[in-house]
Amino acid sequence: MHVTWKLPDGSDISADVADGINMMEAAVAHNVPGVLGDCGGNLSCATCHVYVAADWVEKTGDIGDFEEAMLDVTEAERRRPASRLSCQIVARAALDGLVLEVPKP
Amino acid sequence: MTVWTPTDDGFADLTSHDTFAAGAPHNTFARLRREDPVHWTEWDAGQGFWSITRHQDITEMNRNPAVFSSARGIRMEDQTYEEYLARRTFQETDPPEHMMTRIKVAKAFSKPVVAEFESDIRELCDDILDQVLETREFDATKAIARQLPMRMLGRILGTPEEDLPWLVEKGDALIANTDPDFTTHVLDKMTTDEFRMMPFNSPAGADLYQYAKELMAKKSAAGDTNGVLHLILQPGKDGSVITEEEFRNFFCLLVAAGNDTTRYSIAAGIQAMCHQPELLRQMQTEDIWETAPDEIIRWATPALYFRRTATQDVEMHGKTIRAGDKVLYWFSSANRDETVFADPFHVDLSRSPNKHLAFGQGGPHICLGMWLARLEVRVLFQELAKRIKSIEATGPHKFLRSNFVGGIKELPVRVVPN
Repeated sequence: MHVTWKLPDGSDISADVADGINMMEAAVAHNVPGVLGDCGGNLSCATCHVYVAADWVEKTGDIGDFEEAMLDVTEAERRRPASRLSCQIVARAALDGLVLEVPKP
Repeated sequence: MTVWTPTDDGFADLTSHDTFAAGAPHNTFARLRREDPVHWTEWDAGQGFWSITRHQDITEMNRNPAVFSSARGIRMEDQTYEEYLARRTFQETDPPEHMMTRIKVAKAFSKPVVAEFESDIRELCDDILDQVLETREFDATKAIARQLPMRMLGRILGTPEEDLPWLVEKGDALIANTDPDFTTHVLDKMTTDEFRMMPFNSPAGADLYQYAKELMAKKSAAGDTNGVLHLILQPGKDGSVITEEEFRNFFCLLVAAGNDTTRYSIAAGIQAMCHQPELLRQMQTEDIWETAPDEIIRWATPALYFRRTATQDVEMHGKTIRAGDKVLYWFSSANRDETVFADPFHVDLSRSPNKHLAFGQGGPHICLGMWLARLEVRVLFQELAKRIKSIEATGPHKFLRSNFVGGIKELPVRVVPN
């Protein structure tokens, strides 16, 4: 699948990502600034917070309980309805063309 | 100029605390990374263990707590199941249980909440540095590095200022339980059986427990909800409440782990300034504060290793790690891995990216206090750099006698104030 990260400075980074790789891993592999993934995708840090572009919110699926809790407690100030932890979005054909926005620091 | 050169012969005994009293055995780690990245150590005093020394291996394993579990202990030493249950904190749990506890305190340690402490930290630094710079020669660990985290701890816990020296002394006795300068009950030198159910096998654990109980009673009588301790006592979403034992252990964890790690990061930064004089000039003139704290913390790597236990057989680099085997992630080694860090023994305050693992990055147990640690380190060095013209070592520094916590416990320096 193809994914595009929109950065706070207005620039974009795009990449092709193999199925099964999550969007945090993909972002770290492509040095997307602002997506750190400090806990390795274990829902302990919220440093891979992104906003999913409006067209993609439904396709990326539901927010899990721990994801919900982490977003709520650590990212409350930046949280929007389209907020996700990108480690919880896993590449698959149905997400080809996905657009993710990286929050301002 | 290099800050410090390891002196071990490349075959150091990793089980020996005395090895680390001369500094982490980086020649040994370098050899293991090169020749034997999954290294077995036999051990008279307990079951043997595997040492993982490469950055890439630790990163890959750390993200996989289902295979490499924290829930059987996190130190090299063996524990009976009974001891483990009595002493465990959320450090010794796996997801999802780990998250149930962590979520209660995650906000208090989150980046935006911690950022609000900046002016407090700056005031404390003013205080500490104004006082210490009245003299020109001092032990920088005791006079500077020990002071800031100790005084911040009081704000985090919501404890009275006058209790802090006692708390820190007890915290030191816990975490430096192998160094005779910090405890009368040296773990590997005498029997500590009497205290085997206490955090860190230490009588200080009993003292801290008593203190925590009395503190919470006083606070609840006064309706005082300052600090993080009341957060951990709140029921979780599922209604679960922390047990007395868990509370005691969490308190000890905050006092011990939340304190000396930042201290030794600051000490290592000051040590680096003594041996790389350009660091002070960079701090004074260059825009390095986004990257400098992480480089200082990489250089320090106070948590030398954490242990996991394999839950299944795993083949790696031609070795078979068996289910039940202890596996040590040597963060200390990973942070000097020459395949990841150019010139790893050089402190480069503008190093970027800096994928160091000093906070256990890449796994669920990522340091809860990492934003606070970075902030304390940044503000301390900003304030120190404003106040001095030069700093130099006046004698050799001394390392803690511990293979678990890497730290400079004595750091004699001379400064020329502005």
